[in-house]
Amino acid sequence: MLSSKSLMRSLRRSGQLPVHDFLAPALFAPNRRCISTTTPKSNASVAPPSQDGPAAAAAPKPKRKPLTKEQREFLSSALRVNQAGELAATLIYTAQKPPLVNAHPHLRPLMSHMYEQEAGHLRTFNALLAKHRVRPTVLYPVWSVLASGLGWGTAVLGREAAMACTEAVETEIGTHYNSQIRSLLEMFEGWEADGYDVGPELRDLVGTLRRIRDEELEHLDHALENDAKQAKPYWLLTSVIQAGCRGAIWASERV
Amino acid sequence: MAPTRALVTRLVSAATTTTTKSSRPPPFAATATACLRDSSSDRRRTYHSYDHPPPPGAFNNAERQILSAAYRHVPEHGFTHKALSLGARDAGYLDISTNVVPEGPFSLIKYHLVSKREALAPRSAEIFNAPVDCVDGVTPDVAAGARGQLLTVPERVERLTWERLLANQDIIHRWQEALAVMAQPSRVPASLHELASLSDEIYHLAGDLAVDPSWYTKRASLSTIYASSELFMTNDQSAGFGDTRAFLRRRLDETGSLAGALGSIGQWVGFTASAGLNVLRSKGARI
Repeated sequence: MLSSKSLMRSLRRSGQLPVHDFLAPALFAPNRRCISTTTPKSNASVAPPSQDGPAAAAAPKPKRKPLTKEQREFLSSALRVNQAGELAATLIYTAQKPPLVNAHPHLRPLMSHMYEQEAGHLRTFNALLAKHRVRPTVLYPVWSVLASGLGWGTAVLGREAAMACTEAVETEIGTHYNSQIRSLLEMFEGWEADGYDVGPELRDLVGTLRRIRDEELEHLDHALENDAKQAKPYWLLTSVIQAGCRGAIWASERV
Repeated sequence: MAPTRALVTRLVSAATTTTTKSSRPPPFAATATACLRDSSSDRRRTYHSYDHPPPPGAFNNAERQILSAAYRHVPEHGFTHKALSLGARDAGYLDISTNVVPEGPFSLIKYHLVSKREALAPRSAEIFNAPVDCVDGVTPDVAAGARGQLLTVPERVERLTWERLLANQDIIHRWQEALAVMAQPSRVPASLHELASLSDEIYHLAGDLAVDPSWYTKRASLSTIYASSELFMTNDQSAGFGDTRAFLRRRLDETGSLAGALGSIGQWVGFTASAGLNVLRSKGARI
């Protein structure tokens, strides 16, 4: 976990796509690679058990700071944009699956697996939004239509285009989750420096975000294994999709 | 003694600001401070934490004391300055200390809205989670509520909306004046915000977990229904406001059947579209 985090950070500094580094493990042992690198059983759980949970509960009275207005706004926009993102991802895979599996039946298990994971993420964020009383994004219907269109369009263009779409989206999403995790950890550091306690609620949120980030990056690996780089106008597809993702993230954080 | 001293310093500072800005009429200054305070408090509903202490409420201590004392005079004197100064006197402050309450009578109205909304959460726990074996000696309504676990979300919404309307019954004869104050252009945003908070609270307490576009339509329709039921209630002479409850139920049923019809249409369109797509795919079309 730590090494992959520092890897991502150094990659972002250098401004390179994290392509070769993520391929590296696959190059060493290509045959032993299975579809999933994570356990899917905890997919839908909102609060994975944290190590410090019982300890914090046993403590006499944890000293916690009220969240400032900025922190509450950051948390609600983070949860809102994550829900929108996972909704879009679910719809992209839903729309991609029929044309893609029709043309390449061997992709069926992979597509089902990636869809299952995304649906689990969407359930997680839906539950978090309802629990923390965060409103969904106003642009929900817009993202639904655009994501379905994107998924279907790239799948009709062919396997490589569909995988290039996955690659572009997951790269953007991985970066996005990383920046959220970093902001949360900075928040924790600030509290701990002031002698306040960080509750299990936010620690679990960071844990959930890390798990989901790793699963998204696993999808990125799958896309690269399936010749995402061979898509015909590769640069055009990926840059358009990435720009679209960034725009969608920007808008969903606000409305 | 201590609160009085703090109050005096506040009054002095308030007095100096009014003397330095004497060209400005006081109501404007009052609304300006109110706007500032509004934007600093939770204007928009944001992340609700269960671990961290809640952010400070809408009123500070002195305001709360004066307003809660003044609220007891509302049935007699209405949402007026008279009630406020009587309340200030009851709370042990000078009559002039109503200056602490920046928006005058509107603060009193807001106090009613906020306190009744906040009272809804304990009330809902009481209605929906009451153990079945201790319902003897209470109204049949509460006994029915003991089966709260079995109620559907729309039924819980109806029950909670009704509870909130009942909370108006002590001041309902004064409520038209309050509605007139709330409808003043400078008060409209704050009033609508309170209405939105109320419908959000009701849906939250009713256990609604939907986070799709229906989140917005549900809250908007409940706000409309609540506002119209409240207006109906101000003219309701029936025993126990039975007519208001019937009105509320009719409106909620109408919305429910409309939502049901729209949902059915959407389902039919979706099914037909996917069936058509699958027929085309089975014919070999590469889509």
